[in-house]
Amino acid sequence: MEESNRQVPVTVLTGFLGAGKTTLLNRILTEQHGKKYAVIVNEFGEQGIDNDLVVDADEEVFEMNNGCICCTVRGDLIRILSGLMKRADKLDAIIVETTGLADPAPVAQTFFVDQDVANKTKLDAIVTVADAVHLSSQIEDHHEAEEQIAFGDVILLNKIDLVKDENIEVVTKRIRKINPFAKIIKTTKCGAPLKEILNLDAFSLKRILEVEPDFLESDHDHEHDDDVTSLSFVSDTPLDMEKFQNWFGKLLQTKGQDIMRTKGILDFKDENDRYVFQGVHMLMDASPMGKWPENKERSSRLVFIGRKLDTMNLKEGFEACKSE
Amino acid sequence: MTTDLNQFPELDKTKFEQRGIQLEIGVPVTCAVSIGNNIAAGFGDGTVRIFSSGEKHKTLKAHKGVILCMSKDGDNILTGGDDGYFLKISLNGEINEITNFGSRWVDHVTAYNGNLVCSSGKVVYYWDKTKKEPKSLNHDSTIGGLAFDAKGRRLAVSRYGGVTIWKKDYSNKWKSTKLDWKGSHNKVSFSPDGKYLVTSMQENVLRCWRLKDKLDFAMSGYGSKVKSFAFISDTSYLATSGAIDAICWPFDSEGPMGRKPICLPYIGNKQVTYIEPFPDEKAIFAGLSDGSVFLSQIENENNTIIIRSFTGSEVSAIAMTDDKSSIFIGDMNGNTLWTSIWDQ
Repeated sequence: MEESNRQVPVTVLTGFLGAGKTTLLNRILTEQHGKKYAVIVNEFGEQGIDNDLVVDADEEVFEMNNGCICCTVRGDLIRILSGLMKRADKLDAIIVETTGLADPAPVAQTFFVDQDVANKTKLDAIVTVADAVHLSSQIEDHHEAEEQIAFGDVILLNKIDLVKDENIEVVTKRIRKINPFAKIIKTTKCGAPLKEILNLDAFSLKRILEVEPDFLESDHDHEHDDDVTSLSFVSDTPLDMEKFQNWFGKLLQTKGQDIMRTKGILDFKDENDRYVFQGVHMLMDASPMGKWPENKERSSRLVFIGRKLDTMNLKEGFEACKSE
Repeated sequence: MTTDLNQFPELDKTKFEQRGIQLEIGVPVTCAVSIGNNIAAGFGDGTVRIFSSGEKHKTLKAHKGVILCMSKDGDNILTGGDDGYFLKISLNGEINEITNFGSRWVDHVTAYNGNLVCSSGKVVYYWDKTKKEPKSLNHDSTIGGLAFDAKGRRLAVSRYGGVTIWKKDYSNKWKSTKLDWKGSHNKVSFSPDGKYLVTSMQENVLRCWRLKDKLDFAMSGYGSKVKSFAFISDTSYLATSGAIDAICWPFDSEGPMGRKPICLPYIGNKQVTYIEPFPDEKAIFAGLSDGSVFLSQIENENNTIIIRSFTGSEVSAIAMTDDKSSIFIGDMNGNTLWTSIWDQ
């Protein structure tokens, strides 16, 4: 592209109704930060935001005709982002609010799939606002609540003033079990500094090297088949690139609907560079990211978040990729 | 009127740039239409500029935000904006509000013989010239494009999953028929002879229906989305953007099925981003992603001349005056050229 304009970062804001998304949006729009933020809200959103930089959207999700069965995108977002890019004044960031019951995946996938969107904007992070009082019961009752936690790069655990300390611990543990690499920020009235929410660059591959997930033990309690969980693997033995590509490619192709997010740093045999990747369902972004630091042990780390992970033989598959 | 492509003087101004007026407005040019021998252009800051030969252009502050779409109704300009306004603007600068949807954008506008149409979200609003209130035509998904046929009898509305064609029956009631094809459809156009309907899709492909029997087919092979297309010289060709060549599909009596397009190459391997027909000729203006604009004869690829050289920004609007004397070119960085076409 000839246009040298930088890509405008887009933050996806998700969370159940009543968790505090509107409180956060109002803060973003009214605080004196000297920045220009546009907010794309949904038609079923809570009332109370009135600002020239608020755009109504329809949350239209559609399938791409590209043969990828879980490749759904937000059509309205393509339209609105392309409109916002024609503005005379350049935006510092765009925030997309999704309804409490929406799956965040199509929003994220839009940035992987649409070339025009990818040229001018970039997905910055998925921010999930969770209600510390109700999250546990919401996770039990609504798979969407679980998915929003699973997709989050940042989770604002809001309304902690209304919950006892020991209960905050329980909720935090529940979140960690679903999503080991999200940053959890505990707030009342979504009062976190905006710099911890916007412009995080969480989807850049470089960032993955900086924010290492909590690698949990891989053994886990008995879960329902439908529970969203995470599994992580570490190997000090270098991996065989061809074996890994075969295994991982087939895995995403066949199980991509149940695998919600993946992230990893890989050490391949006979390769000097670190390989970093991340994916949303079947779509993946991967690249060598420079040499391994000299003071650091080389190892491969891989995290999966999704459903039915224990039926995918992930451990066996990963072990089989080791170069021996 | 030819230039040897191998000796293209890349950094020199073209003769059109030398004799025309070049402006650096600094905000994206979003649309342009011809109104008689004038050109109206819409910009990302809500201004409309009217270019007329022999006088300085007029600048009108029309919208509060981006002008998303533009059409004409007789001698009036119609605009829709992200400020929710649908406006009618006369050439002498008088601005009339037709309606205002608040925070909902006006995505598309068109008109036929005094009947005005716009779309906002999933709804098309149709103002019959004899009535004050618009008729709402509802759809299940957001509208990607609007187009009347050449006689103004049918209104095509593209959307997710295909196209809805609206028509009034003998008792003046609106009736619709649907053309279905999975996927998201954007710009839509009837062929001038009324026999075909074409849409550009979210994917890098065009969909076409032969209306007499609803036979549908794809025109594919593009490297990027086809954002601009136009029927050329009545219905001889359909010229399209979306590739490094201007792709011209034959639409004469045999139709395009099973036939190869003519591909007009341009130097530099840049994507074609905008197509504007040269009225009544088998020729097109092609605007590229680097800002350059060429005029080409479709049936003679050696007959290509450069109108505007490289600016570094994608061409987003081209319009020619009705008397075919002058053209306007605009790009996403707000560089414009307004020039006569013919040597004095």
